[in-house]
Amino acid sequence: MTNPEENIVLTEAVFYTLLALHKPLHGYGIMQETKTMSNGRLILSAGTLYGAISSMLEKGWIKALPEEEDSRRKEYVITDTGKQVARSELNRLHELAENGDRIINNSQIQ
Amino acid sequence: MTKTVRKIFFLWEYEKEEAWMLVHTGFRKYEFEKGTPGAYTYRLELLEKDTHAPESKSYLDFLQETGIEIVGECLNWVYLRCKTADCKFDPGTRPLYKLTHLLKIQDFFNTIRLIFIIAIALCIVGIFILEHPQPTPVIDFFKGFCVGISLAASVIMLLAAPYFHHINKKVKAAIKDLYTCS
Repeated sequence: MTNPEENIVLTEAVFYTLLALHKPLHGYGIMQETKTMSNGRLILSAGTLYGAISSMLEKGWIKALPEEEDSRRKEYVITDTGKQVARSELNRLHELAENGDRIINNSQIQ
Repeated sequence: MTKTVRKIFFLWEYEKEEAWMLVHTGFRKYEFEKGTPGAYTYRLELLEKDTHAPESKSYLDFLQETGIEIVGECLNWVYLRCKTADCKFDPGTRPLYKLTHLLKIQDFFNTIRLIFIIAIALCIVGIFILEHPQPTPVIDFFKGFCVGISLAASVIMLLAAPYFHHINKKVKAAIKDLYTCS
């Protein structure tokens, strides 16, 4: 299992998938949720999402919920490790945004 | 009404084939139904294992869940389509997607190249073994067979060489892109 304290830089697809999986969702649900959250900007492709889900399952960041008998669709949900990973990514993004804001916005004023 | 079209694409011409199917409509072993051109987007994808392997099945099931249709299979290649208006395919412009896609193709090509090299080597060995002071029709037949196979394999490899080079160049370019964009 990955140590969430490590300096991991997540891809946009992985970060949004982790956000979406704060509630249980199946593959198509993740795609729709991501599209809604990003106001239609980020449209995850099925191939990318499949790769991201397989990798996150291996790392233990998300888990598959037991399948319902009448459904072929698998649902996934974030794990505690996944939540820690998402939080450390959020901190990294805050740092990026703060530094960007300080330097880019200040240079525009001058 | 359906129309059957016979058209040959070489393994390395997958991009041409994709574009060709996009212009035409409908798909079933190149059997076309009259429809609106461009209503569907087609994608040829290379799987690491054949389409019946559990890993491939789970991937294809996932694609189908999201509304992608599987319209055909050929060895490890699958022919997929989805409605252009609600397309679930990667636009193919992201460096990570490009690289993984190209690496799979490069790997597939390398395996095929290895098979051809082994075939040529075996045929050459065969030609030498079949060197006999008193040739019989059977020996002559096998010798001819070995010569034919090795010549055909060599010609195919020569024809494919520019495409191998093209893929290698594309892989290098995709790796470079990864340095700047994820």
